[in-house]
Amino acid sequence: MASYKDPQLRDGLAAEYVIGTLRGRARERFEALMRYDYELRRTVAAWEARLTPLATAAGEIAPPARVWQAISKRIGGAQHVANGLAGLGFWRGLAIASTALMLLLATYTGVAPRPEAPMAMVAVMNDDKGQPALVVSWPPMKAMRDPHIRIKVVQAHPAMEPGTSWEMWMLPGGKAAPISLGLITTDRDQVMKVNPALAPKMGDAWGIAMSVEPGRGSPTGAPTGPVIFKGQCVKIL
Amino acid sequence: MNRTAPDAFTLRLAELLAQCALKNRISFNDLYKLTAAKLYGVALRILKRPDWAEEVLQECYVNIWNHAGDYRVAKSAPLTWMTSIVRNRCLDWLRRPQTEATGEQYDVAVEAWRDDAPGPMEQLVASNEAAALAQCLRQLDPKQRQSIMLAFFNGLSHSEVARHMNQPLGTVKTWVRRGLERLKSCLAPGEV
Repeated sequence: MASYKDPQLRDGLAAEYVIGTLRGRARERFEALMRYDYELRRTVAAWEARLTPLATAAGEIAPPARVWQAISKRIGGAQHVANGLAGLGFWRGLAIASTALMLLLATYTGVAPRPEAPMAMVAVMNDDKGQPALVVSWPPMKAMRDPHIRIKVVQAHPAMEPGTSWEMWMLPGGKAAPISLGLITTDRDQVMKVNPALAPKMGDAWGIAMSVEPGRGSPTGAPTGPVIFKGQCVKIL
Repeated sequence: MNRTAPDAFTLRLAELLAQCALKNRISFNDLYKLTAAKLYGVALRILKRPDWAEEVLQECYVNIWNHAGDYRVAKSAPLTWMTSIVRNRCLDWLRRPQTEATGEQYDVAVEAWRDDAPGPMEQLVASNEAAALAQCLRQLDPKQRQSIMLAFFNGLSHSEVARHMNQPLGTVKTWVRRGLERLKSCLAPGEV
């Protein structure tokens, strides 16, 4: 196996692995080596970076719709992801059904079952006309390995202007300065990681605001653009 | 390696993968919409059978969903990461003993890749990111270029390339190896 240490040979094998001419037993051996050899994985990644544009540049062919349906089923997702409105009825139905189940359980056992991810705080963020635009909520941050907040769009989003970004801010209340939570996307439902250092403070948040900032977020660490949505936090747990 | 600044599409995919790691299904659906046609094309070209390509695509997206948390921006671009998953799965698939030779009835599926259709080279030149790669491919000896393209693009093995080009196996192996070496030094002069 000494030959596997020769850099030129390693590079050559990595290249043939990536273009796919390394086959059969040789490919299996190479994959086994890669598992324990960080440098070899890097060599392979470099070849992938060089050649992948070739694989995808050939144009696109849309797969049949059944492929997504099968994937969605396999990851345990419901159809609602693909078609927004039809999903609403499904979720309403589910909510009613699970409320009924909870009541039933409470009747028989005397205790209500704990929902899987109880939300601890919620903030409804309004636009300048007082209409709700976003709902932000998060579970208790203390016990969370991956502190995060969930952001849902209630009404139609305004368009994000090119070259701008949307930055979320936690308002600690009083005279304290807003603390950046990070940039959000235009997705209707998204989960945003919270800096673990900030997580303990989220329980005392007074409000949440969203400002329009330059492309990579506020350059100063404080909101620089107009605040288009804001709302007060409500403790619900 | 010198990396150019990631474009908006790359940033978007990275963002969606980060959301997938947090099990955001809507982002996963967006990721699928943005990439499925690219990856299905990759799979179909290698496997040449729509039924196999669909199955591989399905498996790969489930893997991407399950392993989105393992994706590291610093190590590779999102589309590179996803394409490599699909390509490797396709090559594994072809290794299965029960894989029969591809029937002619499936050639219709690869109609899009006919030689006289706008070739991959033209499309490479059109995409900015790959312009350097296209330039370097142009500089290769035509036989080196053709053998690399057949292997990488259509998933042919050394012996299949040899048969296709009607050349001895050893000659084709040398073309592929030398071509790859030249490609590397052309893409990153000075790098050993």
